[in-house]
Amino acid sequence: MKPKDFDQFWAGIESDLNSVVPEPELKELPIRSKPQFTVYGLWLSSVKGYRIFAYYSVPKGEGPFPVIYHLPNYGSVVHIPPFEERCKYICVALCHRGQRLSDEPFAAAYPGLLTLGIEAAESYIYREIAGDCLSVMEFLKSREEVDRRRICLLGGELALWTAARRSEAAALHYTPALHYNSLKRASQTSNYPLEEFNDHLRGSASSRLSVEKTLSYFEPVHHAPNVQMPTMLVEDSVGFCDALFEAFAGPVDRVPFQHSSYRDGVRQANWIADKLDNGQPILPAHWC
Amino acid sequence: MPKPNLSAHPTEVVKPYDFDHFWQEIMAEVDSIPLNAAIELDPLRSSEEVEVFEVKYDSLDGLRIAGWYCLPRERTKPLPARVFYPGYISEPTLPKSHAAQGYSTFGAAPRGKLRSNAAFNPGYPGLLTHNINDRDHYGYKGFYIDAVRVIDFLLEQPEVDSDRIGIQGSSQGGALTLVVSALRQQVRAASAGAPYLAGVVDAFKLTRTYPYEEINDYLGIQPEHSSAIANTWNYYDCFNFAERIQCPIIVYIGLQDDVCPPETAYPLMEKIGTSNKKLYEYEGHGHDANHHEHDHVVDAFFDDQLKPARS
Repeated sequence: MKPKDFDQFWAGIESDLNSVVPEPELKELPIRSKPQFTVYGLWLSSVKGYRIFAYYSVPKGEGPFPVIYHLPNYGSVVHIPPFEERCKYICVALCHRGQRLSDEPFAAAYPGLLTLGIEAAESYIYREIAGDCLSVMEFLKSREEVDRRRICLLGGELALWTAARRSEAAALHYTPALHYNSLKRASQTSNYPLEEFNDHLRGSASSRLSVEKTLSYFEPVHHAPNVQMPTMLVEDSVGFCDALFEAFAGPVDRVPFQHSSYRDGVRQANWIADKLDNGQPILPAHWC
Repeated sequence: MPKPNLSAHPTEVVKPYDFDHFWQEIMAEVDSIPLNAAIELDPLRSSEEVEVFEVKYDSLDGLRIAGWYCLPRERTKPLPARVFYPGYISEPTLPKSHAAQGYSTFGAAPRGKLRSNAAFNPGYPGLLTHNINDRDHYGYKGFYIDAVRVIDFLLEQPEVDSDRIGIQGSSQGGALTLVVSALRQQVRAASAGAPYLAGVVDAFKLTRTYPYEEINDYLGIQPEHSSAIANTWNYYDCFNFAERIQCPIIVYIGLQDDVCPPETAYPLMEKIGTSNKKLYEYEGHGHDANHHEHDHVVDAFFDDQLKPARS
């Protein structure tokens, strides 16, 4: 159930973010730059003044350029965006607090991060992580080389939450991940990372109601009504996203996850190219 | 345009004349290091069916290495074991579900992975090119050995049947599977998906995708190190370990893999020493190597080779 103070909770994150001076710092990483693009390390302050890191790659040539903003998956390492994408788009890949390169002073544990502070929404680590995601959007909007009308968000719930709070993004490519229908899905598996929820509840069965309440602030179904931009929703299996699909405010292309990094990757690249520049993507040689 | 014949791609990997001597010396040193294994129950991660332990053991260069060790609570006879080696950027697996099927299981965390990175932490990107000009201090030297030491740990455990140890992994986990099955003949069965670190000097010229792109990045600013890199890699390439592999092994690849080019899998298969080997090629798949469907093949392979009580 959507909490009554849902909007207030998320406004609180925005308020915390607004109280921080971001102080962005860009430093070229010559080893990662190529004739086609320049790669920078980006550091900026997020919620509570925490300094976070992101890779920021800008194509050579005259901008402004469309942007692919990679929101991170669950794990300590964030890859530099693909070479082929970097040739054509500004690419930004965030390392949220706790992930490598954003792990001072807080280094996330895996397993562990998924339930850190989960007893209350205000203390749940993903409140601050959501702030990290939003702070990069503010950075992008401040840059002259960025075409602000052509920003695509790419990822799981971190991308969805960002899309729900930043309607100026042009497109959302969203694959439901760990915060979609979490406890029900966790009850059907013993595999990590979802097993982290089971571990937590096994050790503290009495906390179930508070965990459910915390997760309700992050539940995608409650965020989708705020997403108006064109969205690609990648569905794990038939019927997996019925309620979620209906909840989106904007147009949604609903497609099945094909369990193929090649087929899913080609489809993703084509969809993003269509939304950002009506053009053809550059694909890895083995995909052509 | 017709696709190139993936299986006909030539390799530039060379086996150094002193490859065996190089690894013989390393293994002699390794064998002189006591494991000093510590095993601590993790009640938070344990369940009604499975006990989870955090393991620490000593390895090369005085490093303390971590791992997850899982045992079914119901166990009376010695158990077969399955080791899970991690990918380049993935977190070490905590393999509870396979323990529930009657295996002792181990999720390896070689140096640089979380919980094993206090003294060695080259990062990602970073590991692939850490001291890459120096075969004696290359980052993967200790990394390989940390993976080997998992077998030594299992051989010390009374609940493990030392004649039924299987190892597996995909990508870097596939590479570690190949190396460990070559260096520890106690391994009885192996499964390697989308193997990384096989034909390295060929691979980084075939793709622009990380992690191999780390080598292109490195050569972009230090092109004069090209031959030194090739020389180092000749001592670490899975091609040159492969002929030592004598256990049954299955390998699976995606034919559209942009991360670990499929061209490198064919010479690898030719070099693997055992005749009990099989390559599964999946059209329409990339670096996933169709693990979504192939995992059933892997489970059936280990059930057949290692015969857990509940299979």
